[in-house]
Amino acid sequence: MKQPPKQLNDAVTDDFKVPYPEPILGNPVSTLLESGVGNCFPGLEFDVRQLDVRFFPGLVFEFLGVTPAGPDGSQGARLVYADPAGDPLLAADKPGQPEWITNLKRQFGGPQGAAIGSGDWYLHWVEQDDKRIQMYDYSLYQNAAVLTPYEGETCWWLIRVIEPEKTLRIALTQRAEDGSPTGNPVVLEGQRRIFLDEEGMIDPVYHPGELTSSMCSPWTHDFRDCACHYWASNHPDVALGEVKDPNDMLANRTDRDDPIQAVNFVDWMRRRSLPLRDVSAQTTLETARPDRYDPYEINLKWQELDFVLQGQEMNQTPDSGLRMVSKPYQSAHEMIDDCRELATLELTLALEYLYAYFSLRSPDQVTAEQESDWPGLTADLRAARQLILSVALSEMTHLRWINQVMWLVLNADPQLGTYQPVLTPAAEVAQPDAAHPDKIIMRPRSLQRATPAVLQSFVNIERPSGTLDTEYSRLVNYLGDQARFPVGVLQLAVRIDSDGLQHYQKFRDILQFLSPYRDHEEIYLRPLIEASPSGDAEVEAALLQITRAIESLREAYTLEAAVKDLPQANLHIKEARDAMHNLNDIAEALAGKNIGVPFFAAFEG
Amino acid sequence: MNESMQSSGAAHVAGNLLLMAETAAIFNLQPEDADRLATAIEDNDTSTRAELERLGLSAPLMPPPPATELHPVRALALTVSQTCNLACGYCYASGGNFGGSDTRMTWDVARRAVDQLIADTTPGGAVKIAFMGGEPMVARPLIRQVVDYANQRGAVRAIRCGYSLTTNGTLITAQDAAFFAEHNFAATVSLDGGREVNDVMRPTRSGGGSFDRVAERLQALLARCDQIALSARVTVTPDNLNLPRVVNDIAALGFASVGVSPMITSPTGQGALKGRQFSQLLDAMRACGDEWMQHTLTGRSHPFANLATVLGELHRGKPRSHGCGAVRDYLAVDASGQYSACHRFVKDPLGNMGNLQQGIDHIARVDFLNARTVERQSPCTRCWARRLCGGGCHQEVLHAGRPACDFVRGWLDYGLRSYGQLQAAQPQWFDAHAA
Repeated sequence: MKQPPKQLNDAVTDDFKVPYPEPILGNPVSTLLESGVGNCFPGLEFDVRQLDVRFFPGLVFEFLGVTPAGPDGSQGARLVYADPAGDPLLAADKPGQPEWITNLKRQFGGPQGAAIGSGDWYLHWVEQDDKRIQMYDYSLYQNAAVLTPYEGETCWWLIRVIEPEKTLRIALTQRAEDGSPTGNPVVLEGQRRIFLDEEGMIDPVYHPGELTSSMCSPWTHDFRDCACHYWASNHPDVALGEVKDPNDMLANRTDRDDPIQAVNFVDWMRRRSLPLRDVSAQTTLETARPDRYDPYEINLKWQELDFVLQGQEMNQTPDSGLRMVSKPYQSAHEMIDDCRELATLELTLALEYLYAYFSLRSPDQVTAEQESDWPGLTADLRAARQLILSVALSEMTHLRWINQVMWLVLNADPQLGTYQPVLTPAAEVAQPDAAHPDKIIMRPRSLQRATPAVLQSFVNIERPSGTLDTEYSRLVNYLGDQARFPVGVLQLAVRIDSDGLQHYQKFRDILQFLSPYRDHEEIYLRPLIEASPSGDAEVEAALLQITRAIESLREAYTLEAAVKDLPQANLHIKEARDAMHNLNDIAEALAGKNIGVPFFAAFEG
Repeated sequence: MNESMQSSGAAHVAGNLLLMAETAAIFNLQPEDADRLATAIEDNDTSTRAELERLGLSAPLMPPPPATELHPVRALALTVSQTCNLACGYCYASGGNFGGSDTRMTWDVARRAVDQLIADTTPGGAVKIAFMGGEPMVARPLIRQVVDYANQRGAVRAIRCGYSLTTNGTLITAQDAAFFAEHNFAATVSLDGGREVNDVMRPTRSGGGSFDRVAERLQALLARCDQIALSARVTVTPDNLNLPRVVNDIAALGFASVGVSPMITSPTGQGALKGRQFSQLLDAMRACGDEWMQHTLTGRSHPFANLATVLGELHRGKPRSHGCGAVRDYLAVDASGQYSACHRFVKDPLGNMGNLQQGIDHIARVDFLNARTVERQSPCTRCWARRLCGGGCHQEVLHAGRPACDFVRGWLDYGLRSYGQLQAAQPQWFDAHAA
């Protein structure tokens, strides 16, 4: 065949294909904490805006909106009160207290603190990384500058982007009748509050009830006519329809008599009594609403709402074998061997993803000129890096979990063998062949930059019913049938398996963010070159951190598996974590010089 | 003209260029391949697909109509004045009042429309407000009030407001021009030709001509054209088909951009083009296009805007499901507070989209978009130009059908040939004009 003709314009020509006609199953992402409805609508777990009310230590703000009559100059971030003494962060001098806290206390004890002790004060600007954002819209009108205060919601959006552990300066001013700032600003310097400590505990400055104080209260029935379609728990919007008789369910989860039924998304809140009961879900709330229960009706009709298991409505106790059919293990030995392989694969993927992460340019490297040529580049890079790092970290968690699965299984049945930590990377990775997606090929492990092709290969690896997912579903199937192992083993396997869907979606999102730059590699990728393992002191230092992390994990897992000195095991875990933090710093510095750390070299020789 | 209906709707060949109907992708072919493919397209779908396959290409089938996803309305036309000081026979608004009595929008209606527009927009976003009529300058104080208010409301939500105005130009003052400049208006002046032509088509209510008055009033706008995006728009009727002359006469007033648009339906039937007049229109537009191309290739500017627009659209290659953004991104509000599909649907029940009291009728929006999508238009599914044209103007199709499809295809065919010409001679033009 001859060379195909050259395309001249920018039209997208990829044929539309449905690569995986079967629906994607697994726990919906809406069940995860970070995608909780409460993050968008006040009313569920807590109102995240309440965290930012105390974003600056010692101060409490409120975010005021526009009155129905229009802006009256009171909108914005208003200081409710200053209470440095009531803030545990500032309350007492602690040994080793950071210098910025000492300085901030001095400011509260000095003229600034005295000034804001009385009168009405509003947040005027925030400043970080030499960038100052005003809480006012600036316009020129009839040759005079006009400062119009942003409404509270807009101020809150701006405050949300302030980063912790960096110097933060804020200014407060008072206001004239029309809302314009007057008088001298009071400037305070500190850092943004860290909302969660290392253990994940919310800062003790928040009083009980404070984070939920702006929410609807189910016990007072506030949600009766709630405009945000509140319900007191996360719930599915849509679910796959029920198979009428589970005995008729085919391997692909559809119904023998009505194949469309079980692959059809139905509105979970639909009125069951209508002839509409099984029609497809509507795409918008406006069109769906007439056919679904209003929030207040749920109290009366809750028994009708179906249980949803793995995305499908289910009204009977499901048989085992609910999962997609995969080749079962012949023996427990085969399962353990498979776990070992999976552990090596998790480590390999974690490092491949990490390398791809370092290959993305840091948002700090984006010049003003590039940002003006490519609006949104900084934000896209930040989001892409954050997502890819989260997947790499998740793979590291999986490495631990799969080891844990092994030691729990081997502890329960010592005849199967003795647990040895598996902390070496796989030499090869199985992935779908790009040309024939049904065919699996093995490729050698490799560290590559996050080009579109590489990201696409990550998508393929993590794809539901892809290689990785299939392996884990075998494991889940097998463990589900085995009563002799502790119940936690199955749960670990299920968690690893269901995370895969998130990885898949995250990589797809990254591809999407970066697609505008795909023909301009230099805009988003570093010209990273994998370094030789020896010769560069910094590279050697980075590899040493990997070795340290792995050795600490080995010690920790061995102790944990033997249920021995657990505090000592925790110390080893902490060592491993510190080593990875060091690795991050060194690798980022090297990546800034376009040098890639040859991670796998830490396991060679 | 049934010929085009029998041939394949999968692709189209213009010169050496191939347009894929579904994806709007454009390919360069060898002359002999272009000839073979053109013959195959004349035959039928099967031969066309075989020929494409021989070239290593495949024409995707038309997918089922997509599910309509509604986004908040981003642009609003305010029919601030349902009256006009001119009396053009073909006016879509029947002399400005849409067949009713002369009315003007009240401040209360305008304010609530602006409130709803801004409240539905995410902080950091942008909205557009278009002042339409009738003749909007009849409602000068309201326009000023709306702009000040929208700026103020937008400012507290960090939303940028952009403004545009379509005017007959007869009432503009220097103060108006200064106001438009301060707020970076896009101003479109309706003119139909030089003095003789224009004054027949666009008389005042008392029967006099309007050209001299517009020419005089235009000076204020031209003086501020660094801050006002100024253009002229010609409505083409059987009376002004000599378009090269018309475009040049209007450009002589100082316009850098002159766009033409054929009259296909008017409330009175007066002025609408018919039958053979469409091929005269096509010839006239090609003549303007040729002039534009000669100028562009020799590094000079030319005011004819239609060809530049088509070339930009072809280059972007975004296949359409609808002819324009009406209903999807854009609605109009009239003096009584009714929302309609666009400014041409004011007081037309076919385009009713709710009202200010009850809010925008989103179900009507979805139904309208679903019904009007090009995948559901019966002659369109067989037409190679469907993804470029999007099925045409909703208002014209609903009231006059599609009398001008051969003209549209002819013009797009000419556009494709011009695209190939400009790509070969000056590919950098597209970097500057179609980014």
